[in-house]
Amino acid sequence: MSGTKPDILWAPHQVDRFVVCDSELSLYHVESTVNSELKAGSLRLSEDSAATLLSINSDTPYMKCVAWYLNYDPECLLAVGQANGRVVLTSLGQDHNSKFKDLIGKEFVPKHARQCNTLAWNPLDSNWLAAGLDKHRADFSVLIWDICSKYTPDIVPMEKVRLSAGETETTLLVTKPLYELGQNDACLSLCWLPRDQKLLLAGMHRNLAIFDLRNTSQKMFVNTKAVQGVTVDPYFHDRVASFYEGQVAIWDLRKFEKPVLTLTEQPKPLTKVAWCPTRTGLLATLTRDSNIIRLYDMQHTPTPIGDETEPTIIERSVQPCDNYIASFAWHPTSQNRMIVVTPNRTMSDFTVFERISLAWSPITSLMWACGRHLYECAEEENDNSLEKDIATKMRLRALSRYGLDTEQVWRNHILAGNEDPQLKSLWYTLHFMKQYTEDMDQKSPGNKGSLVYAGIKSIVKSSLGMVESSRHNWSSLDKQSDIQNLNEERILALQLCGWIKKGMDVDVGPFLNSLVQEGEWERAAAVALFNLDIRRAIQILNEGASSEKGDLNLNVVAMALSGYTDEKNSLWREMCSTLRLQLNNPYLCVMFAFLTSETGSYDGVLYENKVAVRDRVAFACKFLSDSQLNRYIEKLTNEMKEAGNLEGILLTGLTKDGVDLMESYVDRTGDVQTASYCMLQGSPLDVLKDERVQYWIENYRNLLDAWRFWHKRAEFDIHRSKLDPSSKPLAQVFVSCNFCGKSISYSCSTVPHQGRGFSQYGVSGSPTKSKVTSCPGCRKPLPRCALCLINMGTPVSSCPGGSKSDEKVDLSKDKKLAQFNNWFTWCHNCRHGGHAGHMLSWFRDHAECPVSACTCKCMQLDTTGNLVPAETVQP
Amino acid sequence: MFVARHIAADHKDLIHDVSFDFHGRRMATCSSDQSVKVWDKSESGDWHCTASWKTHSGSVWRVTWAHPEFGQVLASCSFDRTAAVWEEIVGESNDKLRGQSHWVKRTTLVDSRTSVTDVKFAPKHMGLMLATCSADGIVRIYEAPDVMNLSQWSLQHEISCKLSCSCISWNPSSSRAHSPMIAVGSDDSSPNAMAKVQIFEYNENTRKYTKAETLMTVTDPVHDIAFAPNLGRSFHILAIATKDVRIFTLKPVRKELTSSGGPTKFEIHIVAQFDNHNSQVWRVSWNITGTVLASSGDDGCVRLWKANYMDNWKCTGILKGNGSPVNGNSQQGNSNPSLGSNIPNLQNSLNGSSSGRKHS
Repeated sequence: MSGTKPDILWAPHQVDRFVVCDSELSLYHVESTVNSELKAGSLRLSEDSAATLLSINSDTPYMKCVAWYLNYDPECLLAVGQANGRVVLTSLGQDHNSKFKDLIGKEFVPKHARQCNTLAWNPLDSNWLAAGLDKHRADFSVLIWDICSKYTPDIVPMEKVRLSAGETETTLLVTKPLYELGQNDACLSLCWLPRDQKLLLAGMHRNLAIFDLRNTSQKMFVNTKAVQGVTVDPYFHDRVASFYEGQVAIWDLRKFEKPVLTLTEQPKPLTKVAWCPTRTGLLATLTRDSNIIRLYDMQHTPTPIGDETEPTIIERSVQPCDNYIASFAWHPTSQNRMIVVTPNRTMSDFTVFERISLAWSPITSLMWACGRHLYECAEEENDNSLEKDIATKMRLRALSRYGLDTEQVWRNHILAGNEDPQLKSLWYTLHFMKQYTEDMDQKSPGNKGSLVYAGIKSIVKSSLGMVESSRHNWSSLDKQSDIQNLNEERILALQLCGWIKKGMDVDVGPFLNSLVQEGEWERAAAVALFNLDIRRAIQILNEGASSEKGDLNLNVVAMALSGYTDEKNSLWREMCSTLRLQLNNPYLCVMFAFLTSETGSYDGVLYENKVAVRDRVAFACKFLSDSQLNRYIEKLTNEMKEAGNLEGILLTGLTKDGVDLMESYVDRTGDVQTASYCMLQGSPLDVLKDERVQYWIENYRNLLDAWRFWHKRAEFDIHRSKLDPSSKPLAQVFVSCNFCGKSISYSCSTVPHQGRGFSQYGVSGSPTKSKVTSCPGCRKPLPRCALCLINMGTPVSSCPGGSKSDEKVDLSKDKKLAQFNNWFTWCHNCRHGGHAGHMLSWFRDHAECPVSACTCKCMQLDTTGNLVPAETVQP
Repeated sequence: MFVARHIAADHKDLIHDVSFDFHGRRMATCSSDQSVKVWDKSESGDWHCTASWKTHSGSVWRVTWAHPEFGQVLASCSFDRTAAVWEEIVGESNDKLRGQSHWVKRTTLVDSRTSVTDVKFAPKHMGLMLATCSADGIVRIYEAPDVMNLSQWSLQHEISCKLSCSCISWNPSSSRAHSPMIAVGSDDSSPNAMAKVQIFEYNENTRKYTKAETLMTVTDPVHDIAFAPNLGRSFHILAIATKDVRIFTLKPVRKELTSSGGPTKFEIHIVAQFDNHNSQVWRVSWNITGTVLASSGDDGCVRLWKANYMDNWKCTGILKGNGSPVNGNSQQGNSNPSLGSNIPNLQNSLNGSSSGRKHS
């Protein structure tokens, strides 16, 4: 071991200790710092661990390699191989009275001095230490020492004895090894094979050799360059890794002729290769001048016989620190933990994580597997710190019956949580559209009703006659502005924008009042101003300033407003047009833009993006000429479509344009719920037939199904079928009489169906004259219930007459709809059945069919059928 | 925002895959211990293992559920070079093991000569179909023509990818406008920089799968690939786990513009690329709406990614693999502007939307 490059070793038994060795040996103690502060003098190893230096031993210079005594020893007994080939036993303990006292300082001396390359303690006979040395002529290069040998044998060459300084120390010198192996060769690496204490694997010069100490004259060997760092897999004793330059070879000792596999070559020479002691088949490798430890996860033990497949290797690299790594060591017991040391002796302690596989459940929880453990992680319900994901939002909205309020359509935005201005705009738009469609239909049926849902863009286009503009006087001001005369279409547009209410009354008063009530002072003031009522605007601002929630600055704005002058070059005009840009509120900003604008040029208002679309459109309807208006609406529509901004539905209506806009919205948000409900609000059929709309609906239904919101899905389907009768599914099951073969059904439109395996059947319309328990065709009795043994049947319905036309009578209007308990149900598998109520109560306590000798487990056949709808579980 | 809960899995070796059924009430796990376990969620929200059996003679890499309309069906694939289809049987006498369900092997798919690395059921609207991919670079698509008989599967297509395959993902879109499509990732780690993600599309006319796209920019080994649930979007989102997390969008160019019959052309954009894991990314998974992506990396962390309304993707959560929260120091990835959030995107043209104003 060169002085510059430290090595690191975990104590094999005291798992909180490790040694760093370069020119000296330093023993450290690792502590967790999770619950405590970093102690003075200790070194941080990781976020939650730190090391304290316990002792330093610099007794053994010229260290080349170090090996920790494998038996438990409180004194940290280490063997150190030196540059002259001597192996010294040393200790880092403080207690000198231990049983190892005699061993400490003991030296094992080879005949000829040369570098000691490697040391290996025998894992079974703890006193045996193998040392691998460089080549020296014909001398042996693998020496196995018994550390307990207490004597210097007689045949010690005389010069050796003379070399040792003094009689007292000779007892500490051992010169006679237990075994001498590898004659005329060099040994670069060694490891004992755990199969047998007498088997030693050695990386010799240009070959790997297995020495059997029972017969030292024989050895098994294979010629290879990969002779460095031989190490045996602790979990699979026939598997051995060795390396050469940048290449790691994996050997199977049962077929030793060639490596079972070689790992992809690395550009730099390897310095260390080590199997993970806590996990099967994980090999860590380190190259020179690198900050990366490469891990090879060998998922399978190679099978040597008759199988040429290589084990799958998952290669990973981990980067424990930013500096180059000098060496690393696996922790002997902590799973996948290792410690690394850099050339300047900074250390870090880290754990190699298992690869995590994960999956989202349809409800927002995440499951992952790390190693052998599973973790489930759910979003906390009551956490408002982050905006909820659309998946969560849609779930909550589905539960609150979002989209299903067809009377007060605007209320849907409240059902959606009243948090999204775009949704608010959308549902108000749809509300107005519905309202005015009904209005139109009442006035002149079949006339313009559909036009309302086509949006302002179409409405404005449809206006035929030229609209004359006229000069209107400002109330309470000596000023005139050009205002378009409002034709029917423009009035409708203004109505849709919400500025004016039903009827031909064009007063914005009620609208202003409602705005003031909601505390939208700035907006109200702007709307008043656009209706040329500056006094009302000022009044509203004053009101706002004096209210609790209002902003006192509104008074200042009101003051500025009251200073309005029509003069072109006034100071007021000049200051307002520059300072207005600094106003934060967009409505205040557009008020001044409006007042300072040149006649007929309203870009400052029309293109202020922060002002709601409906206000800008209403403004445009009031002030722009037909051609200007058309161009403006066209432009704004395209902008909205591109952005997927739901406010734009006001312009596009529920037309193909609207679908385009909704498509961008869905692309952006994934909110198919809003898209589906919006398009089902009153769209003409051709829009509903649009593939995209059908696809959103399908996706939304699929979501509801996945969440087990089956009732919600059914409600949605009912809602949908009102607008799109073609979406109604056909009858799924018919029951025919055993005798005449005719259907015993009188109502084919509403046969309920549930899952696989079970079907129920309800008959409500039985002919007046036939018994409920018999076939209406041939009057023969129907099958008996397996429990009560009474013929099954249906209660008498109030269905008048028995004519064919009654077959299509809507069951929801049928007052005496068959109770579910009376329904006819049977098992698809064994064909036994009975009254639904009886069957349910039977299967509450039993698994098998109630018919004697029938072992069918009717109720368990369908797993999905046993799932409970999630709605009932939800709060 | 998130709290993690430990569940005793009792697998004897590494768990390689976790998979939920359609309703999220059942879960399957598979492991190097060669077994698959099925878990059922009780009403109280706890998971109970209701079946555990040896499925293969090698590590089981992946397990996946079929849509419940085909019954309770699982598919698994393994290092033992096979994939298998399993069905739950009820009604057999298993009174001794109350609360345990019984799964039988319906078929073994033995066409691969190498480890089968992934298995996925096709979207429901395509019928009962199954795709596998293997280390020899072949994607195989099987079909059970009779959904009542799960023991008969016919090999319909073999697609050669030329590279060792590690993962596949079906495009879940059921829109008629989108042809069946499957994306394949390769973890081939040889240094030649070939594109590691290929996308194949079914051609109605030739009745074959042909290569529609190759993501040329992905040249590092790919460990996982996942199409987001389509949810009515006009484009597809594809997440890729390679040396970083990448999110691509594939927008089909409208059919009428392309020559009919040929493969669909796509406008492909990379919308996010995150190297916050600082290492190889192992898995990616989408939530049900395709709006939150979870990824796991060799840093031992699970990260959550979400796009804001401008389609800028950001990290919204980090958890350690052992469920413990990540403390302040390492959570910087949360606040640092990430690479991905600066990439302009097709969807990003929201230049003139009004926002934040209230309407009456």
